[in-house]
Amino acid sequence: MSLKRELPTSTISGFALSAVFILTILNILIQNMPLFIDTAGDKLLQINTQDGVANAVTTVVVYFRGFDTLGEIAVLFIASLGIGLMLHKNSTCTLKAGSNFMLRSASKILFPIIMLYGIYVMVYGHLSPGGGFQGGVIIASGVLLLLISYQEFEVPHSLIVLLETFAGVSYVLIALIGLLTLDIFLGNFLPHNISEMGMLLSGGIIPIIYIIVGIKVGSEMSIIAQNLIKRDENV
Amino acid sequence: MIGFIILATFVGMVVVAFSSIIQSKLADSIILFMGVGLGSVTLFFIFKAPDVALTEAVIGAGISSLIFLMALKHLGEEA
Repeated sequence: MSLKRELPTSTISGFALSAVFILTILNILIQNMPLFIDTAGDKLLQINTQDGVANAVTTVVVYFRGFDTLGEIAVLFIASLGIGLMLHKNSTCTLKAGSNFMLRSASKILFPIIMLYGIYVMVYGHLSPGGGFQGGVIIASGVLLLLISYQEFEVPHSLIVLLETFAGVSYVLIALIGLLTLDIFLGNFLPHNISEMGMLLSGGIIPIIYIIVGIKVGSEMSIIAQNLIKRDENV
Repeated sequence: MIGFIILATFVGMVVVAFSSIIQSKLADSIILFMGVGLGSVTLFFIFKAPDVALTEAVIGAGISSLIFLMALKHLGEEA
């Protein structure tokens, strides 16, 4: 078995074309963006309370630097796309050596707990440490546990496509609604009173965006894990 | 007391990192590399960055080590 794999020229050229396209769009977006460099750092944390979010880091990541988060999930999407292009195989491959009995029994107990903890970290990202990225990766590690426990388990591709498309489109849609109503990209157009600070339903669009980021990160990391594990097993 | 814990974690991380690069078996190196991640989780938590600590615990000590171990399993007896 050689590590070199044949890649068709059409795939490589399509990948390069889409990369050039994305870079052009990003360049246009960045040139039209106003820069507020002098308000970075501690001043951001001082005005944190006006959004009613208890966790200051979440405010910075999702609200003050929401455009960076959009870029980060785009980077993760491109990484998952590249791994899928290089490593994906259509034939159903299974692990050579089956998992043992202890792993299979333990995964039945551990998988719901891992998923529950991931969803908790994701939903409470604006109140406690954690958030979309961490919760998404915890959910993906639960899927990874299933992948190494059961030979026949496969992440359903249609579900991943649906979740990822929904998450990416709704992130941009919420940001554009903010642009239309408040003239700010990612503007907080939902009610966010300081008096509700610390409640689950507070902070306007910030928890919604973090849940969207969690869904996107979780599905992408799951599909990366599947592509890495179920590769060339029948050779 | 807290300074002693920080110092001990630093020294332990350096020792674990050095011993992970002198191992002859790759599996031992990966397990010791997880130890470096756990040490940095402790330090992040002590230095009041629980968000970063959670990220490091999930990605650094969890997912990346599992992916390293799966890659090692793919390599088989060659490594």
